[in-house]
Amino acid sequence: MQKEHQIIMSVYQAKEDLQKADDLIRDYIPFIKSEASKCISRFCSEQDDEFSIAMIAFHEAILGYEHDRGAFLPYAAMLIRNRIIDFQRKETRHQGNVSLNEEIKDSDQTLLDQIADKRNYIQESTNLEATKQEIEELSAVMADFGVTFSDVADNSPKQERTLEACAVAINYAIENKHLLDTLLKTKKLPLAQLVKGSGIERKTLERHRKYILVMLLIQTNGYEIIRGHLRHALKTKGGTSV
Amino acid sequence: MKKYIVMECHLSYAVVLDEDGRFLKVANRNYKVGQTVTNVVEMQIPQSVPKEKKSRKWLYTLAAMAACVIIVVTLVFQMGQMTYASIYMSINPEVRIDVNRKDIVVGLNGINIDGNDLIKGYDYKRKNLDLVMDELIDLAIEKGYLYEGCKISLVLDAESNEWIVTKSNDLPIHLNKYLSEKLTFTIEISVKKATNDQIIIPINPNDSDYDDSDYGDSDYEDSDYDDSDYSNPSYDDSDYDSPSNDNPSYDDSDYDDPDDDSDYESDSGMTDYGS
Repeated sequence: MQKEHQIIMSVYQAKEDLQKADDLIRDYIPFIKSEASKCISRFCSEQDDEFSIAMIAFHEAILGYEHDRGAFLPYAAMLIRNRIIDFQRKETRHQGNVSLNEEIKDSDQTLLDQIADKRNYIQESTNLEATKQEIEELSAVMADFGVTFSDVADNSPKQERTLEACAVAINYAIENKHLLDTLLKTKKLPLAQLVKGSGIERKTLERHRKYILVMLLIQTNGYEIIRGHLRHALKTKGGTSV
Repeated sequence: MKKYIVMECHLSYAVVLDEDGRFLKVANRNYKVGQTVTNVVEMQIPQSVPKEKKSRKWLYTLAAMAACVIIVVTLVFQMGQMTYASIYMSINPEVRIDVNRKDIVVGLNGINIDGNDLIKGYDYKRKNLDLVMDELIDLAIEKGYLYEGCKISLVLDAESNEWIVTKSNDLPIHLNKYLSEKLTFTIEISVKKATNDQIIIPINPNDSDYDDSDYGDSDYEDSDYDDSDYSNPSYDDSDYDSPSNDNPSYDDSDYDDPDDDSDYESDSGMTDYGS
């Protein structure tokens, strides 16, 4: 009883504080692992996809838990089970496919080793390193504004229409470079000018303030790779909106 | 297939950016920052259903309270409009005047054709009972229904005896004051339910102040004549009845009649009245 109460306390603290959520999850890794193992009827190692699914399901349980709906751990167990079952259903679609790691008869080699490797590993690893650097830089600039990627993910528009509305505002800022300069100089989002210039409702922009901030930061100098990744989205939307 | 760049890695989840510019929280399948991945498992935060219910419940309470307030207000308003008592006034035109608890007239109906004619075009709304009576009598005089020596008959109808007693005292006094200068007439007051309680008071202009000076003795007027005797059934048996109706020139002299005095004496127990 007393222990249960303590869990509820820490769950409610974890709802607000990312660090505490991480701590709570770390404390309950054995529980998560055991629930996942029960579900797939074999031992679940930390390398398994099911383990990652179980981890995020536990996090969802923390965010979605409500005190008056019962005990936390059974709820978390249920959520883990459901998410793993969902995941496995999705995977069955690929069941006809052969695993690359499958061993070929009469040899020690796997299928993966036999396939001619067209990818340039060295190029890829330098790319990865460059992307990582860009992201770290961006993350440092964002820290100046007091924003993390997690905040942005919570703040990101999910509906197609909202996303397009935000894209219109962002494109307006791209076409008017001085807006980006003022953003960097004053460390404040020039929301009024964005509303005026793009014609998008202020409420929409205000709701996704952090998201727009990060998207505008990406448009400032550097961040070529991220921009390349996004180019598809922004350029086409920009073309249609004018 | 959609591509995602991994932006940030946490223990339980990773933040990725898709090609449309969405940031998503996905299951962290041993991702590294900067990696391009496909086939992510997105985080779904369960919707909190009970919160909605709670707000609904609160709404229900509010709605119920609002309904109660409306009902109470309507009731109070209705009470104001409710007929508390009625007065049937007949000269020849007969009308029914409905009043509420505060003696404000809430309804006026003609009982016969002349009555309908009398109140035609007359606005009674939010007027006091006394005012309506006065104005109706003025109207009756104007239209020729009421003339010298006429008889006005008032029938009181109410649940409360107290109201009847007060009104049967107050109404004649009020009408006397109002009309004493204009006309000579008789007021007859009765109670609708108990027809035995008929009280008939003769009035003529000269005599209007009889309750003040003629008797001289204020004790008598205060205690017996005004208040209690009207409601006293034994009063009906007295001699006032027949002469008052027949004889308009009836005056004080009868009061001084020794026969009557003896009646008073026995009623009031005042021995020094005769002297």
